[in-house]
Amino acid sequence: MIFGWLPSFLAPERLWVLVVVPLLVAGYIYLVLRKKKTGMRFTNTAVLSRVVPKQSQWRRHLAVALSLAALVALSFAWARPNGIEMVPRERATVVVVIDISRSMEATDVKPTRLEAAKQAALSFVRALPAQYNVSVVGLSGNPSVRLPPTTDRVQAQQAINSLKVQDSTAVGESIYTALNALQLAPRGTDSSPAPGAIVLLSDGQNTAGRSPAQAAAEAKKQQVPVYTIAYGTDNGYVDLDGKRERVAPDRELLTGIAQSSGGQAFSAESLDQLNKVYNNIRSEVGQTPVKKETTALWAGYGLAFAVVAALAAVSLGARWP
Amino acid sequence: MALQPGFAPPPDDLSAVASVLHEPRSATIPLHKLAPEAALRRLELTVVRRLEGFLHGDHQGLLPGPGSEANDARLYVPGQDDVRKIDWAVTARTTVPHVRDTIADRELEIWALLDVTPSMNWGTEGVTKRDLGIAAVATIGFLSQKMGDRFGGLIMRPDQIKRFPAQSGRTALYGLLRRMLAEPIVSDHTTGPFSLAAGIQRMARTERRRGMRLVVSDFLTPGDFELDPNVEPEWERPMRQLAVRNQVLAIEVVDRHEVEFADVGDLLIRDPETDFERYVNTSDDAARERMDAATAAQRERIRIALRRAGAAHIQLRTDRDWVHDIARFVMAYRRTASMLHQPPAGVTR
Repeated sequence: MIFGWLPSFLAPERLWVLVVVPLLVAGYIYLVLRKKKTGMRFTNTAVLSRVVPKQSQWRRHLAVALSLAALVALSFAWARPNGIEMVPRERATVVVVIDISRSMEATDVKPTRLEAAKQAALSFVRALPAQYNVSVVGLSGNPSVRLPPTTDRVQAQQAINSLKVQDSTAVGESIYTALNALQLAPRGTDSSPAPGAIVLLSDGQNTAGRSPAQAAAEAKKQQVPVYTIAYGTDNGYVDLDGKRERVAPDRELLTGIAQSSGGQAFSAESLDQLNKVYNNIRSEVGQTPVKKETTALWAGYGLAFAVVAALAAVSLGARWP
Repeated sequence: MALQPGFAPPPDDLSAVASVLHEPRSATIPLHKLAPEAALRRLELTVVRRLEGFLHGDHQGLLPGPGSEANDARLYVPGQDDVRKIDWAVTARTTVPHVRDTIADRELEIWALLDVTPSMNWGTEGVTKRDLGIAAVATIGFLSQKMGDRFGGLIMRPDQIKRFPAQSGRTALYGLLRRMLAEPIVSDHTTGPFSLAAGIQRMARTERRRGMRLVVSDFLTPGDFELDPNVEPEWERPMRQLAVRNQVLAIEVVDRHEVEFADVGDLLIRDPETDFERYVNTSDDAARERMDAATAAQRERIRIALRRAGAAHIQLRTDRDWVHDIARFVMAYRRTASMLHQPPAGVTR
């Protein structure tokens, strides 16, 4: 496509104004040819050609060409072009992984383990410095990214509040999902992964998916520490299908994940130490492409062309003051 | 003191100005405005060269014959010479009868060569240069309406030379002028074998009888930018050959804006004869001054070349009254003509 380089336009119908450009070009060529026909006759041109310098015509054509270029650029500006603009954005991301398995319904932590985890996550997100991105991943048998990395705290809080209980627990799989969520962070200048950390609020008890140890090793490889927070007491239970099941938290599993990935294991009581999570993340600025109206850019081109055209026209003026 | 406007009012008749843009379609001056015939009767064009002819005229001839001017005395031949012509003083001194011959009085034959090449179809005032040339021919023609004088015309187009035989009388002169005015305008860039030099050569070759020759032209050679008067223009040699046997009047026709280059802004300038085409900024004061100086040098070169060729030189301008200019020339010519038209060594006067 020839016009591949053109930006997309918000008001493309205004581009019809460009129809006048070929008309103006044709009119100019017609006038030039007509002037060629109607020049002044003069008899003594042999001496004239020796004495009077030749008047170059390129400035005249340049002025016209630049005026037309200014017209084209301003027409583009009028049609509200869209361009891709690279906006600098913080890359550093904290992925909050919240366990939403059935076991989190246990009420040994008041009101429930899930509610307590949500409250802890909300207060953590609130306390997180504004420049960091937050991503939310729901931990269940089928972990999913509930919120891609963003600095919008309201969205993050909504995402956390809207988490619902689901079947099964795949701790290892959720860490892989969190690592994938980190990949969604704004692109850097090179393909290096965004600096980040994973905060895993869970009661352990891996029941499905890849093994948590493998996931922790992968996180270590990508230099993403996993901070784990264990919820629940050893006496915790849930009623599933009319059957009471004991759901003691697997503290060893969570501590193991934290240690092998370079993070730290917390308990629900030591939550005030969570600020260590973001204090250890280095800040890094990446760039994200953002679609933006580039009217000003094209208007600037038009202005530049118009100024040069005006200078060329002024330089044509035979009489200077 | 009356306030003077900073510009001259435009002339009343601007019919020729269109020739700046395109070639004129017809003559820009009517026949009756060419020359005031009555006013010219009292002027006389001095003829200093001796003439050949068949008829009895008002000018001094070359050969003996019935006339008013005395020539050599020779022996009286009984039966052949008129007794009344015997020169008694010579007869008494020599004791042999002598008669005094007279030089025949002959009519004057004038041939006018009118250059109508495209560069003559130009003028920024009331008339084009071509029509000013016709007016000059008319004025000279009416000045030479003595008994029996004949006036012929040659119109030099680039592609051909049209010849109108010499005839005597006012009516014939009017006929010639009318045909000159009605001559179709030569369109621009017409090519042909005839330059001014070739035209003069043709006139010298075809019109053999001694008399007066008029060459009406702007004396501009297309493509000749020489300003040094020591370099001969290409028409000088034929001009000199023409002046050997004839009394030559060169009428140089000039437009005001050929001498004073006009300030008309930045525009395309084309030559009616050559393929010159160029944008020129005529508002450039320095360039205009250079152009005026070069034109002045060019005109000086033409003047010197004409003088060197032994031709009398009249410069007429389209913005001036040509009758006045020619009348002034004729007054001064009475004193200078015999000097001006000295024949080369070995040629009879």
